Amino acid sequence: MKRTRSKINWGRELRFIPGYLVVGGYVVFTAVMLFWILGASLSTAREIFQGKVLEFSSGFHFENYVTAWQAQNVSVFFGNSLLYSITSCAGVLLIAAPAAYVLNRWRFIGSRVIRYGLVIAMSVPAIMIIMPLYTMAVKWGLKGRILLIVLYIFLRVPYTAIYLTDFFATLSRSYEEAAAIDGCSPSKTFWVIMLPLIQPAVITVTIFNFLSVWNEFFMALIFTSSESMTPVGVGLLQLVNSMKYSGNYGALFAAVIIVFLPTFILYLFMSRRIISGVTAGGIKG
Amino acid sequence: MRKNKALIVCFIAPTVLCLLAMYVYPVCRTVLMSFFHVESLTADVSAWSFNGVENYAKIFHNAGFLISMRNFLLIWLVGGAITLAISLLMAVILTSGIRLQGFFRAAIYLPNIVSAVALATMWVQYIFNYDYGLLNNLLTMLGLEKFRWLGTDAKFWAMLAAYIFGSVGYYMLIYISGIEGIPTDLYEAATIDGAKKVKQFFSITLPLLKGIIKTTITFWSINATTFYLWSKLFSPVQTESSTIVPVVYLYDTVFGGKGVVTRDAGAGAAVGVVLTLIIIAVYLITSVTLKSNDLEY
Repeated sequence: MKRTRSKINWGRELRFIPGYLVVGGYVVFTAVMLFWILGASLSTAREIFQGKVLEFSSGFHFENYVTAWQAQNVSVFFGNSLLYSITSCAGVLLIAAPAAYVLNRWRFIGSRVIRYGLVIAMSVPAIMIIMPLYTMAVKWGLKGRILLIVLYIFLRVPYTAIYLTDFFATLSRSYEEAAAIDGCSPSKTFWVIMLPLIQPAVITVTIFNFLSVWNEFFMALIFTSSESMTPVGVGLLQLVNSMKYSGNYGALFAAVIIVFLPTFILYLFMSRRIISGVTAGGIKG
Repeated sequence: MRKNKALIVCFIAPTVLCLLAMYVYPVCRTVLMSFFHVESLTADVSAWSFNGVENYAKIFHNAGFLISMRNFLLIWLVGGAITLAISLLMAVILTSGIRLQGFFRAAIYLPNIVSAVALATMWVQYIFNYDYGLLNNLLTMLGLEKFRWLGTDAKFWAMLAAYIFGSVGYYMLIYISGIEGIPTDLYEAATIDGAKKVKQFFSITLPLLKGIIKTTITFWSINATTFYLWSKLFSPVQTESSTIVPVVYLYDTVFGGKGVVTRDAGAGAAVGVVLTLIIIAVYLITSVTLKSNDLEY
């Protein structure tokens, strides 16, 4: 059904008032919370405690951001999270995209088992795998950033592979036939022709992988052994805990904003794609 | 086909390796470990000693675990009912022809996008703060007395409220996609027959959403059993009985925490297995009771 922009029919809108109140109330609450946090990040601790956050009587305290970024190590956490998110997004594609392609194009021994395995793996709770993974990491001497990168890649492989499998199904086999006639090897056909053809799906799944790695907390908490490899989530928790002693609340809220911004900005530009992607992958009745 | 054999093997091997190393082997080992006395995770397998269901007996006689299970049940049942009801309500509102649908959807889903640590910090440090928090400011404005939202009695419910607030958007999107899949002529016919909106909801929308509701119940169960982060942020330094949940108990038993005398990886594994069994049970029960609609439309 095509929606046409019509003149506002006030009588009709009136019936929706309760609806507007519910969703509008929710949105207003969120907005108040975000604006206050933003205001607090530019205020002094004293102003925050006096309840004068949105008055800015002593000006905007941008130095809160400098304090958070430098003195409180948020720059390190931020850099780490960026590194984890970007490298694992790339790594997961390298592993999952070829698998998705093969699973869609050929039936072979074990292909059904692998497919079911991937679907089940998507809902295996982290607590069932975390303990042996810890043992393995200690036994093999794996530590530092590379350990978390590998874990994040493996964590996202099942979802990515299942998501992409459906999209390869939409591609006609004539592409491969044409490529084979031109003497293109199957492997090259995949990387040069097939994968670029599902680019929109690759972008969507990569956004989801990025968000989930950026926001991951449990594994980071268990496998982070030093400050230098701490990502933003765990880092922010440490900041909150130490804030009781330092009392620099302005810098704390600045840190919250710094952690909040990257995914928020991504969402501003990509919200349509993200929202339609939430229900596209794997959710069936 | 023969020509492609090498390609298939090369393309699928890393994923198979991932499945085995990250999921199959760890899950098997965790299940096995739950039947052994294992003190530390780094202990050699030769140091494991079989003790049957001793670990399970131990956790079910442990006060901390029982409290964590009670909290989990409250989160699952009360939190689940409220979250799914609110998100269904919002989904119905946002598919009813209201203006600015796209904006409202995006805004309500927003908490799922941002770091949950940042979100929880906003709630703890601002909304529920005693001195300058939003809720206490509202109370003062109304001439009422300030309330200790994060005091021992109210803390659990404060945590649950904040968690529900952040979760609603996700389930709402799932319900919206379900509702949009229902053909509009059903509603048109009902309207012609004089059925009111409420009646239409209960006799068209709800029955046809059965399959979707089953999905959301399963997802909620998985999220409720693995509930950890919010508990950690509402009691950051020391585990408190008001906010303890099974995963926090597991973490403290396995990796050590305040009040844990001896670490016990075997008991931790047993907690993991119990939680997984709960998820499987919920899935099976909802599958049987909420048979996906065989209705053709």
